[in-house]
Order: sequence, then C-alpha cells, then structure tokens
Amino acid sequence: MKDIKINVNGKTHKLNIKEDERLVDTLRNRLGLTGVKEGCSEGECGACTVIMDGETVTSCTVLTFQAKGKEIITIEGINGGNKIHPIQQAFLDEGAVQCGFCTPGMILSAKVLLDKNPEPTREEARKAISGNLCRCTGYNKIVDAIIKASKYLKREGN
Amino acid sequence: MIKEGIGLGTMFYGTGYGNGFPDVSKAEAVLRADGKVAVHTGATEVGQGAKTAMTQIACEVLGLKVNDIILISEDTSNMPDSGTAAASRQTYNTGNAVKKTCEDLREKIKEEAKLKLNLNTDVGLKLKDGYVYVETLPEKSIALKDLAKDKSLKIKGSFTAQTTEMDPETGQGAPYWPYTFGACAVKVSVDTLTGEVNVLKAVFTQDVGRAINPSLVEGQMDGGFSMALGYALLEDINVDNGKIKNDSFTNYLIPTSLDMIDIDNILIEDPENTAPYGAKGVGEPVMIPVTPAILNAIYDAVKVRITEIPVTPSRVLKELNKSKK
Repeated sequence: MKDIKINVNGKTHKLNIKEDERLVDTLRNRLGLTGVKEGCSEGECGACTVIMDGETVTSCTVLTFQAKGKEIITIEGINGGNKIHPIQQAFLDEGAVQCGFCTPGMILSAKVLLDKNPEPTREEARKAISGNLCRCTGYNKIVDAIIKASKYLKREGN
Repeated sequence: MIKEGIGLGTMFYGTGYGNGFPDVSKAEAVLRADGKVAVHTGATEVGQGAKTAMTQIACEVLGLKVNDIILISEDTSNMPDSGTAAASRQTYNTGNAVKKTCEDLREKIKEEAKLKLNLNTDVGLKLKDGYVYVETLPEKSIALKDLAKDKSLKIKGSFTAQTTEMDPETGQGAPYWPYTFGACAVKVSVDTLTGEVNVLKAVFTQDVGRAINPSLVEGQMDGGFSMALGYALLEDINVDNGKIKNDSFTNYLIPTSLDMIDIDNILIEDPENTAPYGAKGVGEPVMIPVTPAILNAIYDAVKVRITEIPVTPSRVLKELNKSKK
C-alpha cells in the first residue's frame, strides 16, 4: 500500500492506495464518483475519461500513483459540482444524450477542446471526441451540442 | 485511383411482435391529490426516449404540462407489464395504451367535474393546465387537485396490436401491423489502390407516421445510420470454430465520430390511423436501408458487386482483383 495525495474536483484527498490500483477504481470506489463509467477496461471506448492536468485520460489505463500531485476533474466537478455546466446544458438542448453511458466522457472531452479552442469547427469537434465511442447517437447531435456549447460559453464570457 | 458512386436502399418494416403473437401493453393512470397525474407503464427507457414520448402523449390527452405527469416506468412492483422495448413497438403499442388509459381518465375527470360543478352534462368540458372548465363559460371551472381531494381517480387500460398468423404452408397473410417505410441514398468513394471505402454524403428519409418528438426521431436516424455504417464497412466478430475472435474494441471496430458524417435526415409524416397521434416505431427500421445503399454505391463506383459484409479494404481488393481476371 502507498500513501498519496491527489486533487479531485478541487479537493485534496489523502489516500492509502494499492500499488497497482487503477484511477477509475479509486475515483469510483474510494471517492464515490460513479459518473466515471467503466466500459472496455482497455482504453478504447473513452467512457472512463477524466481530465488530468488539463488533458483527457482514460482512467482505466492510468494507475492512481501516476495521478499523484495532479489535478483531476470528473463529470461531478465540471462546474464546481453545484450548477449545470453550459456544455451539459447544450447536450440536453440538442438531444445529444441517449443511453447516457458515454455522456460523462463526451462532455469532458468537449470541455478540454473548448478550453483550448473556444470556437471549434464541426471537424475539430469530431476529432476531439474520436476517442469516445457512442453506440446510440451516431455522434451528430453530440457535435451539434459542442458547437452550441461554444456559443453558450462565449455568451457567458468564460 | 479514387472512384465515387451513388447508391440507394429502401425498406419496409413491420412494427411489433407480429405473426399472431399476443402483443399487449398495459398502463394505469391515477389523478393524485396534488392534481398531478401518475402514469404507470412498463415502457423501458434505454435511451430511445420512451419516457419522453409517453409523457408527451399523456400531456396531450390531459392538457397538462410535462412536470405534472409523473411517469413510473422502472419500478416493476409499481407498474403493469408493457412488453419489451424491442421490435420498435413501444411508441406504437405502449403509446396507444397510455393514450387510451389517459383518455378514459379524462372522461372520468369530466364526469366528476360535472357533479362538482352541478352541470347537466359533461359535453363541452375541457382540460387545460390542471383545470376542467366549460368551454363556452371558462369561469365555470374546477382544479384537478380539488377534484382529487376526497376521491382518487384511477384507470387501468391496455392495448393489443392486431396481428395474425401467416399461413404456415404458403407464408401468405398480414403478419404485422403497422408497417413503416424508409429510403436512404449515399455517395461513397472507393480507393482502388487500398480498398478503403468512405461514405461522403447521405440523405435519409424515414416514415414515422407522426413524430411525437422530432429531435428523438432524428437521434434514432443518426444512430441507426451509424450502426449500419459499421455493419457495412467495419464490424466483424470473426467467429472461428465457435469462438469469437474479435472480442474487444481493439479489433471489433464500431464507427467513431470521424467515421460518421452529417446526414440530411428527412422525416416523412403520414399518420397511421390505429397509432397514438399517428406515430409509428422507428428504432430498428432506421438501420435497414443504409447497408444496401452503401453496397449499391460501391457497385456504382467500381462495378463490382460485393455480397459479403463488412466490406473491409482487403475484401474490396480481393473482389477488384477477381473482376480484372
């Protein structure tokens, strides 16, 4: 076992973890952040996507010790955990959610894109979510939602 | 060399279990003491939007807002059976059960209102925004919550689809009702050097009877197109001696956002007279015409008829080489 500190959704946690513990398990089982979905367990589907120091990672292929001292954001912390985030609102408004299993990962991938590129083209939006598989939506309404979210964020001056 | 081609696929699809199999959906509607209506029905939500569609149908019948319908569709101890979320049947079958049950509740509400308002008849009574009122004299009205104060109103209802068994000898008959229709046209490019096929453009039309929620129907069309695109070009479970070889997303490839394209979706609304507000199911139909359209477009591009899917680059090259000989 190993003691580490990680910052998740703006809060620092001191944890005693197993050496080979995966970040997805720490987030879900120790911190109760079940918005992190486990799909394929091999870094292909993107359901377990979280943001680590401003970049998306698949938390099933990150060991928790690798997150030591890093800042993690999950879907629960995307807007301080209180209010719905404009990207989430855009997903609702565009009908971009069907079964919902890919949605947390999609929204976090969209956030990293929009943080870096506030006015993406549809192609750039497609590229940003290309590591997140979705079986229901055919992606088009998700792309619509990302473009709409960029407008919402611009209006809010974020 | 890159060659382009255009292809068309058409389809018709029978909603529901069909072939005489009992296809029954049930619902219950209760006017609660707070004036809201609880609709209990076993329409399973899997992302297709059953809960939204059922709520919308109940709203339409009862003149209520979305927040005034409490839909109970996941607690099996507290809802009647409405069959499976399969066979593209929930909107048509359970939609009919919800509509019929809510209509019966509406008539019961009018009857109660007639008594409470000392009217001669319930003719000309309307329900809107939580009130029942006389259409020609709207101030003559009573709130639903006042009607439900000392008497809870509860209705049970069901809908059974009309399906008959085919003649087992001849295969003739009318096994399904209703049918939906669709057509899809695509433009593809085929790289004759690498065998890679890309879908460049698509126009997709789907008969929905009536779109209870157009955005949800478009979502089904996009999703169906994407699944069929994977079926046509990518997805191969590769069974070898009874063992699935492509058993992970590393080798069982489903379309990503970069494989999908923006589609020109066209909803055809031709209301079906036995359906709730004319609406028919679209869940499965939207997958059917896409793969044939892609295969026809490949033929149009390179004049080679491919009869096995998925049309992987190696399969394209094999067929192209065969045709040269």
